[in-house]
Amino acid sequence: MKLTESQIQELYAFTRQHFVEHYDLQTELVDHLANDIETQWQKESKVSFEDAKNRAFKKFGIFGFMDAIEQKGKAMNKRYRGYLWTELKKWFEMPQIIATIALFLMFYVAFSTVYTAALALVFYVLISGWCIYKSIQLNKQFRQRKEVSNKKWMLEEMIFKQAGSTMFVFMSQLFNVYQIPERFGENASFLVLFSLAFTALTLVNYISLEVIPSKAEKLLNEAYPEFSL
Amino acid sequence: MSNSKLYKGSLTTIILKLLNEHDKMYGYEITQKVKELTKGELKITEGALYPALHKLEAEGLLDVEVAKVDNRLRKYYKLTETGTKETVNKLEELADYIKTMQALVNPKLA
Repeated sequence: MKLTESQIQELYAFTRQHFVEHYDLQTELVDHLANDIETQWQKESKVSFEDAKNRAFKKFGIFGFMDAIEQKGKAMNKRYRGYLWTELKKWFEMPQIIATIALFLMFYVAFSTVYTAALALVFYVLISGWCIYKSIQLNKQFRQRKEVSNKKWMLEEMIFKQAGSTMFVFMSQLFNVYQIPERFGENASFLVLFSLAFTALTLVNYISLEVIPSKAEKLLNEAYPEFSL
Repeated sequence: MSNSKLYKGSLTTIILKLLNEHDKMYGYEITQKVKELTKGELKITEGALYPALHKLEAEGLLDVEVAKVDNRLRKYYKLTETGTKETVNKLEELADYIKTMQALVNPKLA
């Protein structure tokens, strides 16, 4: 005996009740539960769907789907970091490296002036202002995508919603930027490090909020063969 | 994972070995295959299997494929090139472990 379409939908609802938010993991777990239930029916055809489902779920142990959710999250984070790293490396290859060097030099020259603190604040406000604008825009896009497909994919959520997380690390440093003494601009190693930090933050924010979201479809199709099914 | 903690460290090796012998497999199939091969002696629990599969996928050892079977989607796992190489290493490691344990618990056979 095979499960009906409505029973499959019930299993999807069951995974959602057990805190599996994302469609990718839901699909895998639904197939597993369905296989288990069908195997049970082969042996005992009189077992009800509800009982068979509960028996199948029990086999996941006392933590239910929690371990699977946690590990899937870690695995996806690793995949996302991989994308970020691949894109970042490109900025150290020709021709993008020219832009990277120019960016670094711009920060370096600006911070070498007597206005280190004031300029750092200006750059800070500019970068974080852009990041906030992009994050709001991406969040809106994510909501629209979800409305259309009615499905939430873990990687999609990372690309569109977590992209701004580097920005928050950056923003939390406002206090330090504000505290820079004027004479710090004379310290060469400080200048290099400070300019490098601003260059890296600009690049990481640009990649996570602009480059990766623009490649979302390609990345999602790569990660989820079922994405376009 | 199973009836014995001793099997726990070998879960990834078991998964890799099975996938090495079968072109592609899905989660439930893996649990059933292990049960069948070990005549019920070893039962991979669902709570341990999926975290292990997702970890191996993230490490680039497994690739996935999805197909519509009956009225649902099924996710298949298969070894990547790196996964195939890693299987050889893992199996060698396991063989060494068995040999060492053999020497310790049963010196006559070793």
